[in-house]
Amino acid sequence: MIATYRANIAIAIRTSLMDRTNFILNSAGMVLNDIFFLILWYMFFAGFKQVGGWGLHDVARLLGIIMLVVAISGVFFGGYRDMAATILRGEIDALLTQPKAILPRLLARESIATAWGDLVMGIWMLITFGGLGWSDIPAVLLALVCGTIIYVASAVAYASLAFWFTGARSFARDLTDFMLLFSSYPGSIYSGMTKVIAYSLLPAGFIVLTPVAFLRDPSGAGFAIIAASAGTYAVLAAVAFHLGMRRYRRGLVSTG
Amino acid sequence: MPSTTPTARADFALGGTLGAAHSAFTLGFRRNLANWPVLMGRALFYLVAMAVLTALWDKVSSQRLAGTLASSLPQGGLALYVGVTEWITLSVASIHLRLEDDIRLGMLEPHLLRPKPYLLQKIAEAMGDSAARLLGLGAAALLALAMSGRALPPAIAFLYIAILGPIGTALGVLIYAGVGLAAFWVRRVLPPYIIVQKIWFLLGGLFAPISLYPAWFFGIAIVSPFAASIFMPGNMMIAPSLAGFAEALIAQLTWLVLLAGLVALIWRAGLRKVLREGV
Repeated sequence: MIATYRANIAIAIRTSLMDRTNFILNSAGMVLNDIFFLILWYMFFAGFKQVGGWGLHDVARLLGIIMLVVAISGVFFGGYRDMAATILRGEIDALLTQPKAILPRLLARESIATAWGDLVMGIWMLITFGGLGWSDIPAVLLALVCGTIIYVASAVAYASLAFWFTGARSFARDLTDFMLLFSSYPGSIYSGMTKVIAYSLLPAGFIVLTPVAFLRDPSGAGFAIIAASAGTYAVLAAVAFHLGMRRYRRGLVSTG
Repeated sequence: MPSTTPTARADFALGGTLGAAHSAFTLGFRRNLANWPVLMGRALFYLVAMAVLTALWDKVSSQRLAGTLASSLPQGGLALYVGVTEWITLSVASIHLRLEDDIRLGMLEPHLLRPKPYLLQKIAEAMGDSAARLLGLGAAALLALAMSGRALPPAIAFLYIAILGPIGTALGVLIYAGVGLAAFWVRRVLPPYIIVQKIWFLLGGLFAPISLYPAWFFGIAIVSPFAASIFMPGNMMIAPSLAGFAEALIAQLTWLVLLAGLVALIWRAGLRKVLREGV
């Protein structure tokens, strides 16, 4: 299964790099996009200093982590972005006749060129504005691995709605965008219902907020929360996809 | 003996062109309403974005940290300001994608043979699409505002915004039309789109009024079309006044003319390139 995934994603990455001009324009565009985002926050904190205990350092760490999570997901699991559309177009049919696992092949269908821009900016942001050093690398890696698992798992769960609803194509994308939106703001602003949403349906809390807290104060409890949430979301996504595939095999999903 | 039929003559007349543009506007408007699940999704996105941004500004306002700009925030925070700026930006139709498709896929040529100006038709259609979005998102905004229990600004502010908001959205459509026409020179318009969008957010004051920024930055931003598009309408929620409204209206109408001219120039340059070199 891993060998097939590796071969598929290698082809997808080579394809995304093939048109050099387009690749450079897309990546550079994303770098500029991220720089503007940073300027927005820089100016915000120049005027307001902090929000609920979160300063520029913390937000830079948050942005750095979410950029890297989106970058890793986009480069190595880029098929997540249009998975609902892939299901609804009936493109799984061709994969059903083949012996390899379907989900990894769906995730490896595409590699997103703009994600390379996020990759560069995420690393730069963590090193410069995030103020992280060499000793923080293990914690950052843990945050990235778990954050990517939760992000991709959530996207797969949203896309799996396509097995039940034909309107899930744009809705799945909307949910992923909402998740990103929640992940781009300081955790201290959430309370009540928004906090519940941030730690459940749109798990920004586990993708970036808990990891940022963990970077600030590494602890066994923090590690356990991040790892357990990654495992839980991965299982939920696998179950949702598996149940959906059962419907698909029975011909209960309207495609085309 | 006349060489053209009365209908054909009418087609070439200004009235015929405007009539066709009106039809394109109606088409865009009705198509968006017919596609109501997407409009509902957009309204939901608007409400989620508002929930996050309101939470941010409420937190900043409640802190009122000494020595920061928090003391200069309006009493009710910036939720209403951001509500207006988000309403406008999310209502702007993605005309750049439609132009990109037509230019890249060579679908422009058949349109050039027709008597109606292609670009005007596309812009009118996008304006109709945006008008439907303004209505849908506006309804969602008013509903959310009523349910939130927040203090309302004077009623006149809503009248100002009802005028400045749609013109601000029209400015956005023209800005994105300019981005879409970049497809004459670059294969994908995503990079210029991302850059222009972020400049718009920054200079337009999407998340925070540009009046809170340093004076030098405010000086640059306020004379841009981006500020005329979203900051000036949003500012009516913070400080509604007839003088401010008149100033905003003049700025918007001026930019409307300038941007329309700029888009026409880009279109002509692009068309020359296509006719000379092909797609």
